[in-house]
Amino acid sequence: MCHRSVGLIQGAIESAGISTVSLTLRPEITFHMRISRAAYVRFPLGNPLGEPNRPDQHHLVLGQLLELLELAQSPETVVELPFRWRRWDRWLG
Amino acid sequence: MALWSELSIDPEELGRKYRDWVARVEETHHGANHRVNQTAAFTPLSGPLEECTVALVSTAGVHLEDQPPFDTESIEGDPSYRIIPGDAAPNRLRFSHTHYDTSSARLDPNVVFPIDRLTELMNAGRIGEVAPFHIGMMGFNPDPTEVAERTAPEVAGLLADADVDVVILVPG
Repeated sequence: MCHRSVGLIQGAIESAGISTVSLTLRPEITFHMRISRAAYVRFPLGNPLGEPNRPDQHHLVLGQLLELLELAQSPETVVELPFRWRRWDRWLG
Repeated sequence: MALWSELSIDPEELGRKYRDWVARVEETHHGANHRVNQTAAFTPLSGPLEECTVALVSTAGVHLEDQPPFDTESIEGDPSYRIIPGDAAPNRLRFSHTHYDTSSARLDPNVVFPIDRLTELMNAGRIGEVAPFHIGMMGFNPDPTEVAERTAPEVAGLLADADVDVVILVPG
């Protein structure tokens, strides 16, 4: 239900003339909410940015959200991030 | 560099999973109903991110230690929100939510509410400013009517009045 709440708030903020992007762990909900931009990441609930005290992980995820803001051209852009929980070697070493 | 791809789950499966979720919520929560946005709004970036003011909106039940916690007892949820100063110290943040495991958030609020990361992005020049405030909510609301009709427009109005250019939303 967190994801539906995010979707409803995101829609209202975007309608108020503010650019938005959201993270989602439940793409089946976000996909149906009619939002502007969202990125799905395969992390457990409670850890959308990654593991505690791992700013490198958090920045990797946030950086993708910022790029999505810069690159998305139309609403209902829902993409999937390639990161895997506790398997960061490909991106962070 | 953009690392994302299209969703690996096809629309048919997303539809099936969504309908299953809707049915489950309606079975288990009295008064539950469903709604989505009427239109898919889209606001292009007002300018380079380096010049944008950025706020966070979280539904992970985040609030300051001296603000009233969200109502996690009510079966009807809690559609209220908390205004969190942009420079709030992370050790003053609390998480009132019983529908996800808050243990990571209690160790490091940034896993659901990346307030330090946003300041770092500002200091690095990637974004312009951190907004004067962020918004904390608790996402458990079986009947989303009040969230959609009262909370959402109110929060949107507050952020627009504060000249926020960009909002990053994060669930629990």
